[in-house]
Order: sequence, then structure tokens, then C-alpha cells
Amino acid sequence: MTPPFSPVLLAGMALYPVPAAMLQPALSAALLIIHRSHPDVFERMGEFTGSVILIDPIDLPYAFLLTPDGRAPKLVAARNHPTNEADAVIRGPLLSLLDMLEGRLDGDAMFFSRKLEIEGDTEVVVALRNAVDGAEIDLTADILSLFGPFAGPARVAVKTANHVASLASRDLQTLADALLAPSMARHDAHDARLRKISDKLGDMDKRTRKRRPEKS
Amino acid sequence: MTCPSLELVCPAGTPAALRSAVDAGADCVYLGFRDETNARNFPGLNFNNRELAEGLDYAHQRGAKVLVAINTYPEAGNPGPWYRAVDTAAALEADAVILADIGLLDYATTTHPGLRRHLSVQASASNPEAIRFYVENFDVKRVVLPRVLTVAEIAALNKQIKVETEVFVFGGLCVMAEGRCALSSYATGISPNKNGACSPASHVHYEDEGDRLVSKLGDFTINAFDTNEPAGYPTLCKGRFMAGGKTSYLFEEPTSLSLGTMLPELAEAGVTALKIEGRQRGRAYVAAVVQAFRQAVDAVHAGQTPPLMNLENFSEGQQETTGVYEKTWR
Repeated sequence: MTPPFSPVLLAGMALYPVPAAMLQPALSAALLIIHRSHPDVFERMGEFTGSVILIDPIDLPYAFLLTPDGRAPKLVAARNHPTNEADAVIRGPLLSLLDMLEGRLDGDAMFFSRKLEIEGDTEVVVALRNAVDGAEIDLTADILSLFGPFAGPARVAVKTANHVASLASRDLQTLADALLAPSMARHDAHDARLRKISDKLGDMDKRTRKRRPEKS
Repeated sequence: MTCPSLELVCPAGTPAALRSAVDAGADCVYLGFRDETNARNFPGLNFNNRELAEGLDYAHQRGAKVLVAINTYPEAGNPGPWYRAVDTAAALEADAVILADIGLLDYATTTHPGLRRHLSVQASASNPEAIRFYVENFDVKRVVLPRVLTVAEIAALNKQIKVETEVFVFGGLCVMAEGRCALSSYATGISPNKNGACSPASHVHYEDEGDRLVSKLGDFTINAFDTNEPAGYPTLCKGRFMAGGKTSYLFEEPTSLSLGTMLPELAEAGVTALKIEGRQRGRAYVAAVVQAFRQAVDAVHAGQTPPLMNLENFSEGQQETTGVYEKTWR
């Protein structure tokens, strides 16, 4: 799976020297907030609360091992993508995974369009997808709730950061289009040539059939 | 000229999806309990009693109805869970139950005569005689038609019966043996019609072979998708198999039903309600599809042409079809 050219990919490259252990306090805090605000996620996991799911954002140098245990959930950052430690793997671009987490994207639609890959125990993945989708998680609101009286200014800061990220994403897409333009032109030319050859072969095949005498 | 308004019946796999459907303009939401009594018995999905009670409150406060699908066939010698599901739906004052099994219809009719009954698509009643049987014996108020009829056939059928009809207008398609298909059961030992899960996730595996994604159901390889080729559900009916030296979709392609453009014809054919498939889908799907159909239904009611929907991204294989409703292959 190839990561999209996005601010996340660039941020991921910048994060490369940062050890996974340094992310752990923020991850644990985020999971604690979700656990407190959305206990139904863990209840819906039913018999799969002890399963381990590797969440692998393809544009980051880290993956995350999630154990959705309602009593003691765990989310651990790992550098080496330890698929052998997980019952199931969910893989996709970070922003798509976050959109799915917050219910803005439909998991099946992402799978149909091949923007999401899964491995291992499909039942665990389906349970997690349904549990998360049913929880109406809003990460920004959940995290901002910790800011108490400063939630207002923090919300403005988040809104500004989102706006800047959206502009950066658009600019990077323009840059990617410009870099790819010569290759795409060559690709289109090859496609057109292939179509011509294919049409020609089809015509030749038809003519040959017409000339071939019918069996008596 | 205005048409009679078509009722929009929308799916919900979770309370969040129910709220999304109601907020997007659903007239009715259909859902199931968290067990084998409904045909979408998937992990993490469906409603417990408390969630159903809350869902009913939410829908009723906004003028929408809630229909409870209890549409699998009870296990021989163990009808208890199915009876309890009907009892719970009645106790919580659901607006109707959607049933398929004759024994369960009989139980609901005799035990809860005031509980409105709809005949599930799983009963596969597709002719006047079959439909009259359910109406006369179980006072069924609505029949969900199996996806085997053209619009012309639906119009002819509606003239011969005195009961509301509901038709599917969007979402996943089955092969034309609804309630009777045994493909998944053969491959996994788990029956969609009795256990409520077609291609149960416990038997589905995906293997990344570098240049292609292989999907398997039990011991059967169902499909192999090239890089970037749109994928479909891991069901045998949508598998790609080799026959006569050629690999192709033998039963049907991964494609979703989409009848947005045919709503005026369906209204003219005397259909009462339109059903959107997809209780297993996320609330993003529910919100987008219900909203698009709400606009289309309102446009048809006002005598206007329904707008284009652009729902391909939500469709299986990212393809859409009008399927049997037009039967273009004939």
C-alpha cells in the first residue's frame, strides 16, 4: 500500500528520529479519554476485548497495538510493526483511519476502494469497526474537554491548525500533480497506443473469421 | 403533478446509525437485536433492549418509526430466542416487526395481535397467491418484495393484492434466492437464514500476495483483486471462478443496487415504501445514502425529476445497477 503524498507523510518523516516510547504518554492519555467518554466501544467488542489489533497508519513510521479491554485498555506505539503480536491488522492512511474513527468515512466503502487493508482475524476487525462507528467519537471535542476553562481558546487553535493543514494538503497535491504531470502524459500516450493496437487486433481477428471457411 | 409520497425505510446497525438515519430524513428505521434472530448478526453490531428503547424514543420524538427485523428462521426445537425477540419488540412498543418464518408469524399473531407485522424479504413471497396466504393467515400489513421482479411485474402484482409493498432501492444485492440461499452455509456451516450471517467474518480471510489481494471464505478462494481494482464483499455469489477455461463472475459482479432514477416508476407501480440495505454499514453511509434518497423522494412527490445521487463510492465494487427491476439482460 503506497501512502498518499500528504502533510502527514512529511510529518511522519520528521518524526522518524523520535522514539516510539516518547509518544506513549500522549497515546495513553488519549485512550483514557476515549475509555471514559465512550465505554460502549469496549462493551460492544464483546468476546474480542482481549484481542490485540495492530493499527498501522501507512504514512507514519509507527504502528499502534490496541487491546480494547474494557477494564484495562492498552494502546502501545511500536516502531517495528509487530504483526506477529497482533490477532488482526488494520492498515491505511492516518487521516482516513481518523475519519473512520470519527464516523466521517464508511469502513466498507474504504475497503471497496482499497484505501483500507485488513489482515488476520476478520471478526476482530469487524467488531472494532462496528464498535467504534457506533460510539460517535469526536477526538477533538474529547481532548478539548480536558482543557476546562481554556477549551474555548484551544478550540480556536485547533480550528486554525486544521485550516493550515487543509491548505498544506491542497498545496502538496498541486506539487504532486506538477511532479507527476510528465509521467502521466507518457502513461496516457501509452494507453492510447495500446487502445489503437487492441482495436487493430480486433479488426484483424474479425477479418480472419470472415475469411475462414465454415465447417461442413 | 404530485405523486403519492413514498416512505423511506432506512438501516441502522447501531444507535448512532439510527440517529444519523432519522436526522437525514428517514421515515422508518429498521434494526435487529444482538443475536441470531436477525439477518445481520455481525460482531459489534445491533441493539440491546435499552438501546432499542432509547432508539424508539429518539425516532418517535422526531416523527419516525422503528421496525424490528426478526427475520431469520428459528432453530428447530429452540424457538425461545425468536419468541423473546417478538415479545421484547411488543413490550417496547416497536412500530412493527419484520418476520419471515410462518411459525413465528403465527406466534406474533396470536400472542401480540396489536403488533403490526411486515413480511420480510427473506420469506421470498413474489406472487399474489403467496402474499394472500400471509395476509389472510397472519394479517400482514406490508410485504417486502424479493429482488426478482421487474417494475412492470411489481405494478401488475400490486393490482392483484390488497397489502402495502416495500421494495429495495439501494445497497448490496443477493442472488435471486432470498431466504433460500445455501452458498455461505455450504462453505462455512453457518446459515445466513438461521444464524443471521452470510459470509460470517469468523470464516473470512484476506491474504496480501503483493500484486493482488486474495479473499477466502472457509476453504474456498472467492476472489483475487489486482492492485487498485475495486473490491467487493467476500460472498460466494460475488466470487470470481474459473469455468470453461475462463475466469469470471459466474453469479453476479460486486455491484450495488441503485434505483434513484426509477423512483417515479416505482411510485406509479403502487409501491408504498422504499428500503435501503445496509445495517452492517457505518453511519457515514447511512447519513449520505438516506439524505440522497430523502431529496429524491421529495422531488418525486413534488412531481420533479429526482436529482443524480453520486453514491458510487459507497457501492460494492464501486459499481451500480438497476438489476432485475429493469432486467436489461433479457
